[in-house]
Amino acid sequence: MSVYTARLARDHTRTRPRRTYPLLVLTGFVILALLMIAPFGLVAMNAIKTSTDYAAHGPLALPRYLSLDNLKAFWNLVDFGQVLLNSALISGAVAILAVLLSVLNAYALGIGRVSGRTWILIAFLIANLLPQEGLVYPLYYLAKQVGMYDTRTAVIIIFTVIQSAFGTYLLSSVLGAFPREILEAARIDGAGTWRILWRVVVPVSRPTLTVLLTFFFIWTWNEFLLPLVFLVSNQNQTVPVALGVAQGEHIVDVTMQAASGLLGILPAVAFFLIFQRTLTRGVTVGAVK
Amino acid sequence: MTVAGTAGPAQVASPDIARRESRRRRGKRVDRGYPLFLLPGAALFLVVIAVPFGMNVWISFNRWQGIGPMTWVGLGNYRRLLADSVFWSSFWHNVLLIVAMAVVPTMIGLVVAAALFDYLGKKFGPRTASVLRACLYLPQVMPLAVMGVVWGWILAPGNGVLNSALRDVGLGSLTHDWLGDPKSALYAIMAVMVWIQIGFPLVVFMAGLQRIDPVLYEAAELDGASWARRFRHVTVPQIRPEFYVVLLMCTIAALKAFAPIYVLTHGGPGYSTDIPSYFSYQNFFEKTQVGYGAATATVLALITLIITAVFISLQFRRRDEED
Amino acid sequence: MPNLIGRATRRASVTAHMRNQAAAVMPATGRSRRTTLIAVSLLAATTALTACNSSGSGSSSAKTLTLWHYEAADSAMGLAWSQAVKDFEAAHPGVTVKVETKTFEQLQKTAPMVLNSSNAPDILEYNKGNATAGLLSKQGLLTDLTPQVTQYGWDKKLSSNIAVTSRYSNGTMGSGGWYGIPNYAEYAMVYYNVDLFNKYKVPVPKSFADFTTAMDTFVKAGITPLANAGAEYPAQQYLYDLALSKADPKWVTDYQINGKADFHDAAWSYAANTLTDWVKKGYIAKDSVSLKATDMGSTFESGKSPMMVSGSWWYGTFESEIKNFTWDTFLWPGSGLVPGSGGNLWVVPTKSKNKQLAYDFINTTLQKDVQDIIANKGAVPVAADPADVTDPKAKKLIQNYTTLAASNGLAYYPDWPVPGFYDTLTAATQDLINGKDSNSALGSLQTAYQQGRSQ
Repeated sequence: MSVYTARLARDHTRTRPRRTYPLLVLTGFVILALLMIAPFGLVAMNAIKTSTDYAAHGPLALPRYLSLDNLKAFWNLVDFGQVLLNSALISGAVAILAVLLSVLNAYALGIGRVSGRTWILIAFLIANLLPQEGLVYPLYYLAKQVGMYDTRTAVIIIFTVIQSAFGTYLLSSVLGAFPREILEAARIDGAGTWRILWRVVVPVSRPTLTVLLTFFFIWTWNEFLLPLVFLVSNQNQTVPVALGVAQGEHIVDVTMQAASGLLGILPAVAFFLIFQRTLTRGVTVGAVK
Repeated sequence: MTVAGTAGPAQVASPDIARRESRRRRGKRVDRGYPLFLLPGAALFLVVIAVPFGMNVWISFNRWQGIGPMTWVGLGNYRRLLADSVFWSSFWHNVLLIVAMAVVPTMIGLVVAAALFDYLGKKFGPRTASVLRACLYLPQVMPLAVMGVVWGWILAPGNGVLNSALRDVGLGSLTHDWLGDPKSALYAIMAVMVWIQIGFPLVVFMAGLQRIDPVLYEAAELDGASWARRFRHVTVPQIRPEFYVVLLMCTIAALKAFAPIYVLTHGGPGYSTDIPSYFSYQNFFEKTQVGYGAATATVLALITLIITAVFISLQFRRRDEED
Repeated sequence: MPNLIGRATRRASVTAHMRNQAAAVMPATGRSRRTTLIAVSLLAATTALTACNSSGSGSSSAKTLTLWHYEAADSAMGLAWSQAVKDFEAAHPGVTVKVETKTFEQLQKTAPMVLNSSNAPDILEYNKGNATAGLLSKQGLLTDLTPQVTQYGWDKKLSSNIAVTSRYSNGTMGSGGWYGIPNYAEYAMVYYNVDLFNKYKVPVPKSFADFTTAMDTFVKAGITPLANAGAEYPAQQYLYDLALSKADPKWVTDYQINGKADFHDAAWSYAANTLTDWVKKGYIAKDSVSLKATDMGSTFESGKSPMMVSGSWWYGTFESEIKNFTWDTFLWPGSGLVPGSGGNLWVVPTKSKNKQLAYDFINTTLQKDVQDIIANKGAVPVAADPADVTDPKAKKLIQNYTTLAASNGLAYYPDWPVPGFYDTLTAATQDLINGKDSNSALGSLQTAYQQGRSQ
């Protein structure tokens, strides 16, 4: 049977389902998406409740009336503006520096195919696979030695290294499959190693780099243990650490916790949505014929 | 068979040329200064990871409360760890957690990414696909402390969201104390972890798919290859690098996942959801037996390192064979 | 076959790729320049901020007292302490108190590290007990306040039962130097829903027999009598309450201070068996295993539970949040001992830069006006004037406490003897509620107790 007739035959039998199938699939995905974001609705709902309302009717009842008291109270309690700025600075700096570091590492490992690259890569990955609690005490003593305890710089440096482990791995795997012919062509044009990195490799890998940037930002944003230990002063604190304020020794102020949660999630969501647009744009640029 | 026909022009490239090409490549590789690019990474790694890890190993040979003098105990902590049944029996829970955090999300992520990119994206426009992707990714953004509270509400016994929903649809007999029954607690956590993790592989895979030359999909479509065939013969092979990376990173994440356990169950009821990393965390910060904690962290790091090394050498051998 | 296709098509696309590259690279340079710009400015901002930050904290003037605590602003302690800050600043012209509210979790996990650095505050609130303040004192991180105690006469204000948690000898509470001063006390009691008691004609229990009869009445009416939370401290306190009802003060001292506990003795065995029994009888819901303390509080606040056994720290919250029904309290019937102790401590780090001011501040918090706020906002003051307590509920709270303190009835908390014992206790009580063998649960407690004691 020729290709053509085969396709014709298939087209013929599938005409009807073809129209309903996509809609069915779409509906399925929309339901799945709604289920995935439903918990966020619960957070939002309780963030705008009063604690008396919560006490009387529990977490699942709709708020009797809208109250922004918890949001305001939490904002003032932890000086949320400052906390937000700290988190944005730390996450932003880590995202950029870690992408940079990943690119340099992966260029040598994936494109340069430096000898012993498998073992070098595994060594880099130790940064990621080491349980963080095991790093806490040593890093505390080191940071204190060099006067960087309770500074955001220390946290930025630490997370740059930890996050870049993943970036190095992902990028060197992807660059390992980089079309050699493009590199050869660039070399023939007289481009050096450094120039090829910035003019050929980086632009082509841009979608992956954007993904890394987004991940690094959000992962660092949500990091808890090391900021908890390293950022002692309130003026250096990050969002996840500040969230703990709603939790006392014995009693948790749940509505306050929900309010703080909502405030903590929103910036990261906004960041993701902005970068998700860049992601798609990156593709269209790359796909220009 | 039909698909193979499309590759027409490429058939010119004979194995002979390929071999010559690769020889040329190998000869030229030697001195382009690539190792220099590793310097910043290596220096930072040394300070932030290697030295602290060395210190951690040193600490593990001592009895120590975090501050003040250490008492050398040699292999004492390791001997104690070998005999600690709570630590070793919790490894089994970690295997299940790897299924929930690595295997299942990677599989689901792969299918969903391909469906969004190669099906819904094409039928309803890329915007639809990216909105759906954003929704599925969102759980990754939720801080774990908040996640613990929300899932506490959902899985609560009695009138939790899940139980109420079951009752509403007439499945009242299925209501359950999800996190309180030792038989279901770990599975409940696994479900939550799938919810959290799906977004990660999804976004990586969708980015990877954009790297693929659209010509491949067009050619396959022209040949009438169904979605399932395109998935098997274009998507999966092309996305292999990302696939390995995601699988390994999720496995590592599962081996380190003390935070979800901490916010959801504290390892309970009893020890039914305890995992080694939570055990290690407890020793560091709740029992302040830092030496013993360091020993557990070292053992965990070594186990993870071995898994990683095996995984990566397999991945690279396979890739080199393909080249 | 897929491989073959893959390789062939890859080749085919190479030429297309190379053509694309030119198109892709060109627009990219503008973009990458912008990204670099953002990156550089972000980094510059970070360094600038970090720089000014370090210079700011470096010059600590002697006129600032840095104080850390972790109480909610509208709680009894939060309100009392902001009054104390006002009083203190009025009495010390030119001195400002820099109050930083910390998260409980952060202080619990990082206190040893912070106090061992130059970033230590001048004075802070910290948890009492061997595993917390005791450990810090043993590590040499806290100032021995014994001279100040005599100088200011604090020992005259604090009863001996309260002072137990202030004094540590080699990290063990009960004797030795004074390392911390509490402002309040706390103890466990039975909170009950008066409306439900009236509705089912249940009298307030005077004896243990009354207590079980009351619970039987509720069970018959289809109501679970006791609110509980198995994933956190409440279930442990039920277990401890039961054990205490068969114990004496010597048993408490042996368990808490001397490191001599036998979890298979009469008291513990009775407690474990009774707890299991209560779950079987429906006094405690089996599906409370995974609940947290907050869930227990919400259940009681929503009016669904007739009774809840927990600490005085709920008092203020209930007073402000329960509007739909009347509630009251009584002490665990038929027991001379209940969980309770002096409250959290003011401690002065060894590295405090303003110790004299810190001592003065502690003294301010023990003055009558500050203590009266604690009393009237639903907590138990250590040095309030009973005549100033107006609220009848607050009066009762304090009266009950006075009775207990006079008879040495505060038995501390079950998780205190060993660092990290809390988790072991949680696991064991969860097993008991889930109907597992009480012998193995008690056995696991014994092992962890001895393991921790030998550290």
